[in-house]
Amino acid sequence: MKEHPYDRLEDVVQDDIFPEVDLALREGRHIDRDDGDRFTFLCDAQKLLEDFYKRYGCMLVRVTDGYFYLLPSSDQFGRRQLTGAEMIAGQALALMYLDPASIEAAGVVSRQQVIELLSGLLGRERLIHILDFRRKRRDEKVEQDVIRKGIDAALRTLTTLGFIAKVDEDRFRLRAPLTRFIEPVRGLGDPRDALARLVARGEATLAQEEDEE
Amino acid sequence: MTDPHRLIGSLQRAGVRLALDTTDLSLLVALKARAERDSLVSFEEEELYSIFEQVFDLTEPDAQNPRKRATYAIQRLREQRLLSRVDGVGLAGPGEYSMTRLAIGIVDFFTADEALTRESLALLTKTLASQLTEVLREARTATDADKWRLAVVNPLRITIGELVAGIERRQRGLDDQQDEIRAEIGRLIQRDWFAAIEQSESLLERTTRTLQELNEVLLQDAGHLQSLLQEIEQLASQAGAKEAEAAAQRVSEQVDRVAAWGGARLRSWSDYYQLVQRYLRDVVRLDPERALSQRLRDQLANWPDQRFHLWTARSGRIRLLRDVDAKHDRPPVRRPRENRDRELAITARADPMEQLAARVAAALADGARTLADVVVCALPSVPTDEQYRAAGNVIALVARNAVAEMERERPWRRTIGKLHIEDWSITPKEKP
Repeated sequence: MKEHPYDRLEDVVQDDIFPEVDLALREGRHIDRDDGDRFTFLCDAQKLLEDFYKRYGCMLVRVTDGYFYLLPSSDQFGRRQLTGAEMIAGQALALMYLDPASIEAAGVVSRQQVIELLSGLLGRERLIHILDFRRKRRDEKVEQDVIRKGIDAALRTLTTLGFIAKVDEDRFRLRAPLTRFIEPVRGLGDPRDALARLVARGEATLAQEEDEE
Repeated sequence: MTDPHRLIGSLQRAGVRLALDTTDLSLLVALKARAERDSLVSFEEEELYSIFEQVFDLTEPDAQNPRKRATYAIQRLREQRLLSRVDGVGLAGPGEYSMTRLAIGIVDFFTADEALTRESLALLTKTLASQLTEVLREARTATDADKWRLAVVNPLRITIGELVAGIERRQRGLDDQQDEIRAEIGRLIQRDWFAAIEQSESLLERTTRTLQELNEVLLQDAGHLQSLLQEIEQLASQAGAKEAEAAAQRVSEQVDRVAAWGGARLRSWSDYYQLVQRYLRDVVRLDPERALSQRLRDQLANWPDQRFHLWTARSGRIRLLRDVDAKHDRPPVRRPRENRDRELAITARADPMEQLAARVAAALADGARTLADVVVCALPSVPTDEQYRAAGNVIALVARNAVAEMERERPWRRTIGKLHIEDWSITPKEKP
């Protein structure tokens, strides 16, 4: 860890780690303490990078839970919204993150646990409708395939975005950025008001729109 | 101690003996564990049966009639003075039992052996170093195979091997202890969310200190042990004592494993420590009433009716343009134009038998005077899979158009492909 933070933006950009951190943030990745040097770099260079990214029409957000991410605030910067499958998988993973039982498992969960939790909370029919609303007729085997593939795809995206880390084909490690999914209910007030504030800040949207380039 | 002769004599007269199998030991361990957990000094008979039945479920799940087995076990342990009846009811009713000093001592021996502290580890490694120094001294003066075996191989395998195995046993005990601590921390947090912070942190700190101390001892002493073993191995190699060399290598690998254990456990515990600290800081302190989980659960359950989607950045990667090549005009695809219709020609269908007959006649006219010669001339144009049948037709035609000479011996000749025939000398018939 550097003893002194950076004095100038030039020093930040000249640092060897800047390109990989910059690319990761632009691709939507959330960087937390588990990322080691990247996180330390962002902590040291936060002030300078906030002004730097503002010029591109996005904000460098630092959350007290201990992670950074870029939030586009204008049309200049490309953005994507998480799909329905990614939203429900993210919330299920956030629920597991809060569960004390996850400590005993060293913060590692399996794909099957995610599927079981979602099936239990949403019900199978609603789960399938979220994952594949176009399909009308299906049998049990097809339903299982739809669920497995839908959740697989969502977990892959969430891994790329830094919400979880892949341990092996079936298991994932929970990471602090999952607390983004908790934001609407973090306070004691009405979750709808909290959600409205998130929408006003550009953190979330209430309707699924076309992906923007 | 009383006169040993008298004691031995009385033991002999009374026929005192101690015979415990693994199940009996397991029963004693279960009783001691229950006594410590519930602070009991004695057990009622029904409680004794219950504990024994639980142990039988683990050790002998297929055994029949566990109640009867428990009765025999109680009797056996009483006879060997491991259990004593402490009530005064006699045979009239159920009794109350307690473990004797002998039973407690036996259980303590097996459980205390697994404790690993800085002191016990340092003692073991120092003893190991001392033994290895002695073996090295012997190795320097060993001259023949017997000396190598007695003074080097046997101590390495037996004494030193047992010491290292003792360290490994204790390490396994500490691993079990760590698993228990993790489970305990999990239980504390689940049971008493906010109040568990202090207790959990205390457990974490204590285990971290223990692992750090053990790792220090291992780092200090493992290097010295390895250098002693390397010297023994080198001497054995120079003397051609293969057995001693192999024994030294085995012990060296064991010491490596022991040393690696310390570093690995410290790293693993450090990760777990950070995980728990983060959990206590980020989750427990922020949500002391544990209401957040329930609100999130409700949010997820209602999400299909109150959908929202988070935004993330997605800036495309820089496009890498390929080099520009000049465009070449490609000629249009054409095809030749011609009249593809062809006049059909009428041809007579050839009779294969007529063709065969013509070839046989030609062969006879050309001077073929043996059956084999005629077959060779007539069959080349016939497909291979039809040659055998055609050969029969050829012979029939030859019989019609020639006279065979009766000879005592007719040789077998190869004609075409794999076709062999009994060769006859023939003379063409004169045509009328």
